[in-house]
This record gives sequence, structure tokens and C-alpha cells, in this order.
Amino acid sequence: MATERDGKVHRQRTGELVIRGILLLCAASAVIAIFFILAFLLRDAYPIFQTVGIADFFLGPVWNPTSYPVEKFGIVPLVAGTLCVTAGAMAIAVPLGIACAICIAHLAPPAVRDIVKPAIELLAGIPSVVYGFFGLIVLSDWIRVTFGIPSGESWLAGSIILGIMALPTIISVSEDALTCVPREFAEGSLALGATRWQTISGVIVPGALPGISAAVILGMGRAIGETMAVLMVTGNAAIVPSPLWNVLSPVRTLTGTLGIEMGEVATGSMHYHALFGVAVVLLVITLIVNAVATLIIGQIREKYGRSKGSCAGVTGQERKPLFPPEIRERIGTVILVGALSCIGLPLAGVAGYFACAILLSLLLLSWNRVSPRSAEKVAFFFLFAATAAVLLVLAIILGDIVINGLPALSLGFLTEPPRDLGRSGGIFPAIVGTLYLVAGAIAFALPLGIGAAIYLSEYTTEGRVTKIVRAGTDLLNGTPSIVFGLFGFAFLVLFLNFGISLIAGQITLGLMILPTVIRTTEEALKSVPVSLREGSLALGATPWQTVSRIVVPPAVPGIITGAILSIGRAAGETAPILFTAAVFSQRFLPSSPFSPVMALPYHLYILATNVPGAEANKYGTALVLLMLVILFYALAIGIRTHYRRNSHW
Amino acid sequence: MNADTILAADRLSLWYGDTRALEEITMEVPDRRVTALIGPSGCGKSTLIRCFNRMNDILPGCRIEGRVTFHGQNVYDNGSDPVTLRRRIGMVFQKPNPFPKSIYENVAYGPRVHGVRDRKELDRIVERSLRRAALWDEVKDRLSHSAMSLSGGQQQRLCIARTLAVEPEVILMDEPCSALDPIATAKVEALIGELKEQYCVVIVTHNMQQAGRVSDYTGFMYLGRLIEFGETTQIFESPANELTENYITGRFG
Repeated sequence: MATERDGKVHRQRTGELVIRGILLLCAASAVIAIFFILAFLLRDAYPIFQTVGIADFFLGPVWNPTSYPVEKFGIVPLVAGTLCVTAGAMAIAVPLGIACAICIAHLAPPAVRDIVKPAIELLAGIPSVVYGFFGLIVLSDWIRVTFGIPSGESWLAGSIILGIMALPTIISVSEDALTCVPREFAEGSLALGATRWQTISGVIVPGALPGISAAVILGMGRAIGETMAVLMVTGNAAIVPSPLWNVLSPVRTLTGTLGIEMGEVATGSMHYHALFGVAVVLLVITLIVNAVATLIIGQIREKYGRSKGSCAGVTGQERKPLFPPEIRERIGTVILVGALSCIGLPLAGVAGYFACAILLSLLLLSWNRVSPRSAEKVAFFFLFAATAAVLLVLAIILGDIVINGLPALSLGFLTEPPRDLGRSGGIFPAIVGTLYLVAGAIAFALPLGIGAAIYLSEYTTEGRVTKIVRAGTDLLNGTPSIVFGLFGFAFLVLFLNFGISLIAGQITLGLMILPTVIRTTEEALKSVPVSLREGSLALGATPWQTVSRIVVPPAVPGIITGAILSIGRAAGETAPILFTAAVFSQRFLPSSPFSPVMALPYHLYILATNVPGAEANKYGTALVLLMLVILFYALAIGIRTHYRRNSHW
Repeated sequence: MNADTILAADRLSLWYGDTRALEEITMEVPDRRVTALIGPSGCGKSTLIRCFNRMNDILPGCRIEGRVTFHGQNVYDNGSDPVTLRRRIGMVFQKPNPFPKSIYENVAYGPRVHGVRDRKELDRIVERSLRRAALWDEVKDRLSHSAMSLSGGQQQRLCIARTLAVEPEVILMDEPCSALDPIATAKVEALIGELKEQYCVVIVTHNMQQAGRVSDYTGFMYLGRLIEFGETTQIFESPANELTENYITGRFG
């Protein structure tokens, strides 16, 4: 009897050790992945630094890989392009985003908030290739006509599109920071007879400033790493704008260069290595930007987070002001100037823009003489106007695609293969290909991600191991999607000799969504009360019995929600499958994991950029892709709200 | 050591990070008796009983010195398995923490994780445990309902039934009545009186009347130290230590 029990205990312990080891391996996967990405990028980039030299690569003023007799690999114009487009995008997104966040957090009645918040999630869900498509067809055309230039594909177009794409990040992170400023601060200010606007601009916004700056930096990281939308609307001439403020000049970004040239380069040539050099530069820039944001948020958490949960940007008495008081007083007005500029631009064209600017300068000059009540009215008007502008943008994009896409939809369009280079026929193989790709990606990422999350949340206390795993996850999360594409090409397609194949695309996409799966699963596990774990352990259940029977079941809805969100993201991504899995035209469905596939986003990209005269099918494809992605998001949000309402604790 | 001592602490100290929460605690807990730990908030009584079944193991930054012996064996020995230990030393928590499952599944959970699969056997264990926890008559017609639908007092008795289902030798209770109303408290107290026929019960309480009503032995703790330990009547009627007397007579705490 005693030996029988001893044997059982022994088996149980061995089992626990094995499970622990497997989970640790899962947790290490993110770190291993980022290590492999760095290693393969550096390996393939090394020859360019060796041949061209670091100085000539970084400081060379000309990027011309096909010039004869000597190719020129200077990345200055590419870096300049990235900086210009990002700066422009921030000039648009920061004022608009912060104004919108203030509005949602502190001004809008609940009914308005219930419309704006899902709208912003929707804005975040639109695939980048759809943004690029809209920018190419509608926005650049508008710019061409308005400014009377031969082509509207320009710095300005890129900045506007990227600005819109950075908005959701900036709005949601800022809003978190704003709502976390303790209510007592605002009450204290109101009790002194300050107006709501004085309270918002003088107490709440300064209190949330660290969180807001993190939001801006995260938005910037998103803008720098974006590929498809930028490469479709910026014109892609590798030149530094001349004069430097010429927003109508075409530019080419680091990401755009990779997206355009990687597909056509001869493997192993100097040009090939140069592109990996560009990828290394891109990766380093985005990693630095994201690290700064993570650092800021981490510091805020460390300082105020323990008592306030996950609040970012809570103020405290001992905080040193980021800006001197004079400047701080101006922050509200600076936000206004920007917000107005952005609304003025699309509404009234150039003339209206300058009129607004002059009006605003007058307003600023007389600002101190305006009574607080009038000032509040003006300020609130602009905040609501900014929010309305964000909604308007979403409505225009969705409206354009739905109205022009609906006529193309038919049963044949959904069930037939394409004919005549996609001008006629349907997109059936692309739909199936996309579903195959996301199914494989989630099958790859979900077990790894759940294992990693369980290890992080249940099997360790915060320490060195969790720090390393979290750092790896953050790095992976901040890696631009095009860099995943390059890595997939170098490692899966070439090194492992998978070829351009379904499986290479699935693994690349899977790696890309792994951080999201880890994070959402960990959040879901953490929301299960500690008391349940204690109750189970106190009954003599092993850690794994506790996790599998008590902790995971109530977390399942949260885990599924995260998985579906990841699927939605993977379905819309183009850059990671550009060189790993996708082909433009294939009559048959893939017969094995090693055959290439068609995919919706890639199909849309080629139709929009390389196939003239496919008007109806372009819009049809965009609409189907959009609907597919929105369907996934709606499903996820539906599950989340359903279970939140029925949650027991 | 007394012959009927089942659980003992020997110069037990515990740190959370740099803070010392327990200081050189030495005490012996007798079998088939109720032992109460009293003292002001933060004095370390909950920390102490969580040492008995090694629940502090899962807290970050926790470090232990000294010995806790169960049947004379140190539970913090390298070869000692916390999982086996917790099967033999059950625990009821301050706030009722039923699992989000049915009433039946809550009680059956423990036997199931210890390998009982036979449905009839499980039925028998569930009924016996619920009867012993004086809950059977109230829930026998709705065993498949969610445990979350029970009242606070019923939930706590369900947690006691859940603990009884794995047939432990010791039951640790961490302020089991602090979240309950007076009627539910009376029921749980009556239950404790019956449990000591078969089990060793250690109860932490900040309610001195409760300690007086239910316990045979009482320990008074203050600032991480065990000030005085003895028979309940002696502690309450003629405490040896001035601190104990001040606390008992309500001068602080």
C-alpha cells in the first residue's frame, strides 16, 4: 500500500517535471524566434557591410541597385523617406488622436463613446493593403487634382494614410492614460471653481502625459514599420525631397524598398545582401522606438501601477514635470492648432487651410483675454470636431469600398478562379488560400503561445526568466511585418529549402502573431482569481491539475478572443507572405503544404498596382478581404462581451 | 513532544523579501482538538497556518527558516512533497472560494485529482462530505447547480465539504467566518465542534469570543511572535503575559 502510493507520487512528480519543461520550451520560443531573426538578418546582411563599407552604406546619398557599372547602395534617401513620412504622419495623428482620446475619456456621453470606441477598433482592424488600396485609388487621385501635379503618389499621401493607421494606437493608449488619472484630482480642481476645460487641460492631461507620450511613440513605431500602405502611395522614388519641405515629392521608405525589390532580387547578389542591410537598419530603428515606449510604460507601472492595476500615466505628487509650466499651459492650445489644421486640410483645401491657420493665430493671440467659459466652448468644439473627423475618415474609407465593391460581389466571384489576370472571373483560390494560411498560422502559434503564457503566469514568479521571455515577446511584437517576411524567405524558403510554399507562409504568419497570443492568453489567465488556485492547491492538486482543471477553463473565452483577433490580423497581412507563400495566379488549390498559394491581400495588392483595368474586381477583392477581417473581429468582440457579462466574479 | 501532537513548529521564521513576518515560532498542535490563533491584524497568524500546508511556497519572495513537523517529519525537507502534504492537511480560506463549477463537481474535484474515477464512489463521497458539512439537506436537490448560486455561508460550508472529501488529517481554517453573517457563523462554529471528533482543527480568528467558544487551545500572536500558547480557559481567565491580558480585555487590537 505504502509503496503503491510512493510509486504514484513519484510518477506524478515526474509528470509535473516533464510538463514544466515543455511549458518552459514554449516560453523560450519567442526568445529563440527573435534570436533566429537577428541571426539570419545579420548573416545575410554581413557581406554588404564588408563590401560597401559601413560608412558608405549609411552615408551614401544614392540608392540605385541597378546603376552601371557600379551599383550604389547608400541608404540616406531611404532613411530620409522613412523619417519624412513618419514625421508627417505624426503631425496628423498626434493632435487628432489626443483630442479624440480626451473626448472619449472625459467629454463624450456614453452613447457617443459606444459608437466611437468600436469605430476605432474597426480602424485598427482594416488591413494595411486595404489602406494602401484606398490611398492609391482615392487619396492620391484627390491630391493629384487638388494640387495640380502629375502624380499624387507622394510624401503627403503616405503621411495621411500612415497618420490614419497610427490613430487607433495613439487614441487607445492615450485614453487608458487619461482615464487612469485619479478622479480626486479632477474633483479637487472642479471644487476650486475651475471649468471642465481648465481641469482637463491643467490637471488631467498633464497627469496623463507620460502615458500619452508612450502612446505617441508606439504610434510612431507602427508608422515606421508599416510596409504595404506606404509602398502603394508614396511613389517610391529613392530621392530626398527637394526642397526639404516639399510634401508633394515622391519618397521611398526603408520598408517600401524591401517590399518592392525583395521579390525581384537575385539571391546571393550584392543587392540581396544590401536589402538585408536595410532590414537590419529598419529592425534596429523600430526596436529602439518600441523599447523607449516600453521603458516609459514600465516606469509608470513601477511607480504607480501597484495600487492602480494596469494604469499607464497616473500622476503623483513626486513626479517631476516633463515640461516647464509655461509650456505646459500651452499644451492644450497646441493640441487645438494641430487638430484644426488636420480638419481644415481635407475640408477646404489649401486656401481654407491657410485661412484656418490665420484664424487660429488670431485666436491664440487673444486667448488670454477670452473668458474661461468661452474658451471652454471653443476648446470643446474642436475636441468634438476632431472626434467627428476620425469617424468621418472611417466612414469615407468603408463607404468607398462598400459602395464600389458591392456590384462586383456575386456567387461566381466567390466560387470561381480568376481569369484574364484577375480582370474577370472570381477569387475563390485566394479566399481558400487565405483561410489555409491563417489556419496554419494559428495552429502554429496557439499551442506555443498558450504554453508560454501558462509558464509565465502559473509556473514562475517574476524574475530573470520572465524578464527575458517578456523582452523577447516585446521585441517580436515590435518587429515590422516586412522583416518577418525577409526572415521567412531567408530561413524557411531558402535555408530549410521549403520553397515559396503554404507552410513557409503559415510559420511566418504564426511567428508574427505569437506575441499577441501570448499576451492575450496571459491576461485571460491573470483574470482568474488567485483564491481559486489556492483552493485547488490546498486540496492537494498538483500545479498542472490546478492549471488544467481550474485556471484554464474560465480563461478559455479570453484565450479564444485573443486567438480570433490574431487570425483577423494574420488574414489581412501582406508583407510576411509577399516572398514566402503567395503567388498571383493559380488555377488550382494548393495540393500540399509545399505548394504556393493565392491569398486575398496579395491578390488585391497585385490587382491594384500591376493590373490595369480590373476596377470592379479590385474593389470586390478589397470588400471581401475587409468583410473577412471584420467578421473575425466582430466574432472576437462578441465573445468577449458575452462572457464579460456572464462572468462570475 | 506530547504523544498526541500531530503538527509542530520549531523555531520557525519567515521573511517576505526583507520583512520578517514570523519570528522563531515554536508550538505544538494536538490531534483531535481545536486550536485557535488570535491576535491583531498583521500579527502573522494567517502566515503561520499557511506554513503548515506550505501554501506560502507559491508567494514570490518568501523565505523560511526553522522546522515545521507533521507526524514528526519536517515538511520543508528536500524530499517532502507539498502536493502530498496538502492532501493530508486541508485548508479553508477566509473568503469562500468555490470553483466556478457545479456543487457536485466542487466536492468531487479533490477525489478526482487523487484518482477516484468510479461514479458510485464519487456519489458516496460527495453525499458523505456534504452531510458532514451540514449542507446536504440544503443542496441535495440541486447538486448540478452552479456553486456560485449559493449564499456566502453555504459557499463556505461547501468549501469545508470540499476539504473533507479528500479525508485530510488536519483542517486549517483561515478566518473562515469573517465574510459571513451571524447565523451562518453559528452554523460553521457548530460544525467545527463536530469536526474535532475526527480531525485536528487549527483556526485563525480575530474574533476572541469565537476563539473562546470553539477552541480547546489558544495561541496569542503579536508582531510575528507567539506571545503565549496554552489551554483556552487558561489564556482567557489567567493569561501569564501582560500583552495577552491587554488584548483579551480589549485594551488594544
